[in-house]
Amino acid sequence: MTIDDFIGKFAFAIEVDADTLTPDTRYKELPSWDSLNTLAVIAMADADYGVTVTGRDIEASATVADIWAIVSSKCAAAK
Amino acid sequence: MNAVTGVALRAVTAATPTRVARTADYAYLEPDERQRFQKATGIAERRIVAAGQCASDLCLAAAKAALAHLGWDPASVGALILITQTGDQPVPATSIVLQDKLGLPSACMAFDINLGCSSYPYGLAVAGSVMRTLGIARGLLLIGDVSSRLCAEHDKSAWPLFGDAGSATALELDESAPPIHLDLCSDGAGKEAIIIPGGGLASRLPPVDGHIADAIGSDGVPRRADNLVLRGADIFSFAISRVPGSIQRAIASSGRAAQDFDFLLLHQANRMINDTIARKLGFASDRVPTSIEHYGNTSSASIPVTLCANAALFDVPRWVVASGFGVGLSWGSATFQLPAAAVLPCIDTDDVH
Repeated sequence: MTIDDFIGKFAFAIEVDADTLTPDTRYKELPSWDSLNTLAVIAMADADYGVTVTGRDIEASATVADIWAIVSSKCAAAK
Repeated sequence: MNAVTGVALRAVTAATPTRVARTADYAYLEPDERQRFQKATGIAERRIVAAGQCASDLCLAAAKAALAHLGWDPASVGALILITQTGDQPVPATSIVLQDKLGLPSACMAFDINLGCSSYPYGLAVAGSVMRTLGIARGLLLIGDVSSRLCAEHDKSAWPLFGDAGSATALELDESAPPIHLDLCSDGAGKEAIIIPGGGLASRLPPVDGHIADAIGSDGVPRRADNLVLRGADIFSFAISRVPGSIQRAIASSGRAAQDFDFLLLHQANRMINDTIARKLGFASDRVPTSIEHYGNTSSASIPVTLCANAALFDVPRWVVASGFGVGLSWGSATFQLPAAAVLPCIDTDDVH
């Protein structure tokens, strides 16, 4: 469970090339980002990490590293 | 035992208006956004009422079709329960108006229930329990909404999702009917996820007269106070995290295994939600019929609409587990048997009664 793995899954979920993302990418500023991507990220966190990301979590995060911090902390809490 | 016993489902009918609204034609999304929306939600088109048609009109058509199919004398119906969030008027309850329009006897109890996407399991629980306890031989459970009349047309977070529909489920006391097992849940802490904030007494807003200035929501979308606000991401995470457990509890309470059910019927909110729930429960897609492609999210009526849109699957007796979830938050699941040929194909109607 590393941020590199997460970036790959995150990129796949929102249908962008993983090479275009870094931990510091402000993902909601990507030209292709829209509210449907929010659902795709929630679905990815559920399917790949078994955790529930909320709409509020997405609102509260800015960068890919922010959302990874939320997912990884929920994973840790679930253990 | 979380079950209603001795009550059989005899017929399920659904009615929709004829007017089709296609995602591909929705003016407030760009063409590429329309494609992405359709791919993510599964919604290609929906049925939308013309001005003046109400949920009661759609439910009336569905109820008449159920009575005709069964050859039931209206005088034999002792309970009419309507579940809607789009009644004809605030007072009196629309179910009572429908009692008269359907020619049901005055010795028929009639009342409304205010629930949305969770209506089907709740309706089976309430109607079945009342009939069983009071010895009412026959009842009609009517469920429907005209959500298009609640949403601002430019609100792309709500308008392109919803379709209008009404339904009827005819229930009858029958000692030989298998039990209907239920799991029913609520969480009012999530009330903001889907809400019409204005028009009620708590809002302290002036009566809705169509002249209230548009207000800009926190999402930047201007809406009237009596428009519906839907926070899709909150609903999405609620549904995929809390609904599978409800379905599992209903299945467990039935004493049957998941593989003993022919079909899983889910509220039709979003293709991604339902794919996720079905995957968690181990139901392959051929055991999860859908209607969202052609009818959108038909709110309270989505489970009967999905049954009727796939009526050919129900020519033989089928075991079904169904789950509705959404506005409230309210969710629930029910397991039941549908006898052969009890599900009729969807009816088209623009009649206003």
